[in-house]
Amino acid sequence: MTTRPGMARLARRSRRGGLPYVLLVVMLLVFVVLPVVAGQQVTSFNYYNLFQVFASLGLLSVALGLTMIAGEFDLSVLGTYAFAGLVAVKLGADDPVVGLLAALVLAALIGALQGALVAWFRLPSAAVSLGVYIALLGLTATISDSKTVPYNNLNVSDVLDRQYLEIFSLRSIIAILAVAAIAVTMTYTRFGRDVRAIGSDRRASLRIGVRVDSILVVLFVLSALLSALGGSMLALSLAAATPDPGFDPLIFALTAVLLGGVSLRGGTGTVLGIAAGILTLSLLRELLTVLATPTYVSSLATGGLLLVVAFAAAPGLNAWWLSMRRPTKRVAEPPSLSRVG
Amino acid sequence: MSSDLLDSEISTGLALEVRQVTKSYGNLVALDDVSFELRKGEAHALLGHNGAGKTTLVRTIAGQVVPDSGAVFVDGALVSLSSPRDAQVCGIAVVDQELTLLPALTVAENIHLGRRDARFFGAATDRNGKIASLLTRLGLAHIHPDTLVAELSLAERQLVEIARALSRDAQILLLDEPTATLSDVEIQRVFTVVRDLLTEGRSVIYVSHRLGEVLDLCDRVTVLRDGRRKATRPVAGMDRAGIVRLMLDEGAVEAARIPRREGNGDAPSVITARGLAAPQLFSLVDLTARAGEIVGIAGQIGSGASSVVRALAGLVPSCTGEVAVDGHPGSPLGTPIRSARAGIAFVSNDRKSEGLFLDKSITRNLVATRPRQTCRHSVVSAKRSRDLGRQLCALVGIDAKRAEDPVSSLSGGNQQKVFIGRCLEHPEVKVLLLDEPTRGVDVAGRAEIHNLVRRAAAGGAAVLFVSTEFDEVLDLADTVVTMFGGRVVATHRGSDIDASTILAETTHGSSVRGVA
Repeated sequence: MTTRPGMARLARRSRRGGLPYVLLVVMLLVFVVLPVVAGQQVTSFNYYNLFQVFASLGLLSVALGLTMIAGEFDLSVLGTYAFAGLVAVKLGADDPVVGLLAALVLAALIGALQGALVAWFRLPSAAVSLGVYIALLGLTATISDSKTVPYNNLNVSDVLDRQYLEIFSLRSIIAILAVAAIAVTMTYTRFGRDVRAIGSDRRASLRIGVRVDSILVVLFVLSALLSALGGSMLALSLAAATPDPGFDPLIFALTAVLLGGVSLRGGTGTVLGIAAGILTLSLLRELLTVLATPTYVSSLATGGLLLVVAFAAAPGLNAWWLSMRRPTKRVAEPPSLSRVG
Repeated sequence: MSSDLLDSEISTGLALEVRQVTKSYGNLVALDDVSFELRKGEAHALLGHNGAGKTTLVRTIAGQVVPDSGAVFVDGALVSLSSPRDAQVCGIAVVDQELTLLPALTVAENIHLGRRDARFFGAATDRNGKIASLLTRLGLAHIHPDTLVAELSLAERQLVEIARALSRDAQILLLDEPTATLSDVEIQRVFTVVRDLLTEGRSVIYVSHRLGEVLDLCDRVTVLRDGRRKATRPVAGMDRAGIVRLMLDEGAVEAARIPRREGNGDAPSVITARGLAAPQLFSLVDLTARAGEIVGIAGQIGSGASSVVRALAGLVPSCTGEVAVDGHPGSPLGTPIRSARAGIAFVSNDRKSEGLFLDKSITRNLVATRPRQTCRHSVVSAKRSRDLGRQLCALVGIDAKRAEDPVSSLSGGNQQKVFIGRCLEHPEVKVLLLDEPTRGVDVAGRAEIHNLVRRAAAGGAAVLFVSTEFDEVLDLADTVVTMFGGRVVATHRGSDIDASTILAETTHGSSVRGVA
């Protein structure tokens, strides 16, 4: 009974946290089967759309999920997302690459500032990042005069969104590569392990000698970079930047992260799991588009899905189930001494 | 400095020297001009009861506390230990008193975690089988380095914690209560590995409340008392009594000695359990405790003793069996609320995560279980809480001036007293369950805690406690129940308790299994 050690390790690792992938497979099956039953057609364009969502909201979700794995909560990703789009459109008027780089550099600075406040001054990240989010919205409103800013170089949009291999675009490929790089970093490097460690137990991590402060700063920079990449590419491809994207992107991101097996307490969850969560949620949305269902059905389905996952992943569920079952069993047949053991 | 040491090995040099260190917290002077020398290749025990400054000294060496004055030398060179990482750089590896393993990570990841020379890639793997061989040396051959720590038992986690310190290849190993959750066999395995390190010329600082271990392993002992160094002596020629005398004032030893109580065989039984069973934990357990009786359940780790009291506290959902609590119609099994309603109070062996509200005040903790006593017309009365808190502080022997301080500011022994105090003088408590009531508590604190337990019994409660330390069982129990392999071996009442029988029954279950 010898298996290859790599396989054994994989099996051991996937014993926990397999739920997001199961969910993705189920959703994919539903996505393939249900439209056929309903007499609708799923085309490659639907899959293309899926990855287009991944390139914007997906990056935002990974940005949010990364800080949650470390036990922090970076609400500012939504502000960075909007701000970076605006910067890319404004400063990239001549050259989109300049706009993109400017957006990323400014986002990195915002991330570093937040990371420093959280790490060195021990400020709660939810409060700091909420403040930064609100401030960034104010900033985008000032820059744009609260109006959508158009981008005149429509060629850029063409290049970013042209279909490759039927279902990909340059934009979605960049996003997938970025997420893959983060996933590899989180799984196979010291940095990734330390992030999970500080999310699991910060005090213990400090005592063992993990550099908690610098890891937090880097993490907030990464988070800001990812959301800025998503936001700026979206603005360039839509050829327009909106100063306030509303709350929907954040709701999407949080749902995807939770579907992806990340706990609000930190320490658990993987980037691959988050990616599976993003795809599951995108599939659900796309499915409801294909079936032409009204928006409220989408909300109901998304909410229902999240509740199901919350129940399935609840650690206390098993114990609760056992304790609920016990009394009826006892009344029926009290165990006698001779039968036990 | 060590004028009382006439060892021939004095020339071997010092691995570590702590020179005239002082540290105070507010008005409290935790360390007062303390010096400490660790020779190369020696195992040096650090002893002292709670509040003696032992923990502060350990934390200073581990880089967790920066002293107000004084200096630390490693291998003759002045060093600054301002973070755990600094200590690691200086070649000091620490096994912390509290577990610092991360359940969400694998064994290998945990062992690599925080290593200053860790590679950026491949941080999660057992690169050249080093970890596997280390685990084997500690008797954990059955655990794969890729196992999640969350899947390990408490004892296994403790051993992994030790494996991590050993893996650091450090010159100085600081072991702070490393054996509190280990069985005798496991302790011996750890000692074997530690002795190997000593013969390689490395040094060990050993902190433990178990004096037997100190006598077994260590070359020298330093005793702290009231923040000062009381003495440093070679272990050779010392015995338990001698060490205890160094640790305590003579007066305190006398005060701590309490005569054994005679059990009352005529009192009505308050709790009766028949045929308790939980899959893979224990089966066929029968127990009875009378009003005012103290029942001690003796058993090694894994004997099921701890699980039995947890089951009575409603914390083992899979437990079946018949339990009758005097004057209560239903069974207490299944959930903690059911158990509490039956009048059962439980003092867990893990006060930090299952007991105290650490950041809340001592008063809040003491009255947490007494809504009826602290409320007036269902509204919490601040005055009643305060008065009751003061009264209970006096009962458990904590200065009433500290009543509003957070529980976390107390020493471990005093925290334990608060935990137990919560169940005392409580009109609804009929049964008091305690799991390892004095784990990690020093001799004096232990006597005080035993007094509290006796007091609860004298008040008419039935007391059941579990302990892996036979001294404690013999000291405290009126009736001793021995367990092995998930079964009750025997029940000894009153005068027929004897240490060798208990030891035999709890360690060699095979010869007596037929009894059960």
